[in-house]
Amino acid sequence: MALADVCGLKTNQLKNSFLSDFGGSSTHLLDDALTSTTNFTVPYGIDPVESLKEFTNPKSDVKIHFDHGTTTLAFKFQHGVIVAVDSRATAGPSIESQTVKKVIEINPYLLGTMAGGAADCAYWERVLARQCRIYELRNKERISVAAASKLLANIVYNYKGMGLSMGTMICGWDKRGPGLYYVDSDGERMSNNIYSVGSGSVYAYGVLDSGYRYDLSVEEAIDLGRRSIYHATHRDAYSGGVVNLYHMKESGWEFISQTDVFDLHYQYKAEKEKK
Amino acid sequence: MSILEYNGAAIIAMKGRDCVAIASDRRFGIQAQTVSTNFQKIFEMGPRLYIGLPGLATDVQTVHQRLQFRLNLYELRENRRIKPKTFLSMVSNLLYERRFGPYFVEPVIAGLDPKTFEPFIASMDLIGCPMVTDDFVVSGTCSEQMYGMCESVWEPNMDPQELFESISQALLNAVDRDAVSGWGGIVHIIEKDQVTTTELKGRMD
Repeated sequence: MALADVCGLKTNQLKNSFLSDFGGSSTHLLDDALTSTTNFTVPYGIDPVESLKEFTNPKSDVKIHFDHGTTTLAFKFQHGVIVAVDSRATAGPSIESQTVKKVIEINPYLLGTMAGGAADCAYWERVLARQCRIYELRNKERISVAAASKLLANIVYNYKGMGLSMGTMICGWDKRGPGLYYVDSDGERMSNNIYSVGSGSVYAYGVLDSGYRYDLSVEEAIDLGRRSIYHATHRDAYSGGVVNLYHMKESGWEFISQTDVFDLHYQYKAEKEKK
Repeated sequence: MSILEYNGAAIIAMKGRDCVAIASDRRFGIQAQTVSTNFQKIFEMGPRLYIGLPGLATDVQTVHQRLQFRLNLYELRENRRIKPKTFLSMVSNLLYERRFGPYFVEPVIAGLDPKTFEPFIASMDLIGCPMVTDDFVVSGTCSEQMYGMCESVWEPNMDPQELFESISQALLNAVDRDAVSGWGGIVHIIEKDQVTTTELKGRMD
């Protein structure tokens, strides 16, 4: 760290005792990401992967059940990235909330989506926001979407096997144009033009794939995103509530609309009957 | 996932003044996937006698068909329409016959006596234990939610319009808190001289 070196601060004091049992650290950048998690309290001398297995083993009595009931989608097109999500949270068959915010505003030009464990997504994307800000201060320029998604992927990879549940899409606009990366708690990180995550993603993909073109207009793209989420909420029991829609432009993201799928259903039905 | 939650359903029956109402959701789903939004769960067993069957969809249809068979024979032998209370015992018997390999349905019965037109509602568990009440009965995956709604909106001696409003609100708001039931609703208001069937406009998510 530049300032730390200038001040003569010894960085090994800041090394995270949680991971020091693994012996030896890796790169500087990774160290940085790791020291941001010094606030996790874990007993000494235990292997976290082994002891946390009980929380992920389906046969165990204490398995933490994460509901992946959700539909989130994002796609790149000529005018940027459209991000659309539903807003339902379920615990088994019971609907706990219809007003969950599944788009996380990392900073004015980066968005992250939430699927899997809500706490995991919200927390780690906030850690990512901190890391992106530090990058900005050090390098006097915005972080690229590729770098931001890689930071997140590398952070969660350290916790692989410990039961984190997160399936997120990092969306932004950088020097290379619109950016969209899929990152999950297994350590997967991929880039493509269209992604949909969650139990309702299969339905969203159907609608998205049949209507997608790179040269859509902004209105057509917004309609496609909204329609895809609606169809997923109609067929998937674990998705529903409202459609929250964002548009990622060169100047940053813009929140477009929040539409109740109840209204969308009868609106689309009326449109069909008019034809 | 429990067998009774595999398909998902919600049924309510309520008693009013000289009338009864029975309502159900319309979803047919296979776990998370919704396959159809016009699945019949309430069956007419007589001009003023209806049975609602929530639970495993295959058993919903089989129990209805076997019950219809028994009821037809009853009406041929007795040469009259069955009373709701007797019908309750008939359903109970059908279910208890399968005590050690039950049908996964928990029926709800609503009707008026064929001679006196007295209102009658009842429900049963999956092995045929009957329960007759004076206010309302609920059955399905969101029974807790339905109990809460019914306790709030039910009052004694409601006329058919008030009863329709109460049962519809109870059903719609209960299924909106259940992921595996809903996708529309249907209500039958059974009075002495007519049966009014209405489809409810509900959330389709």
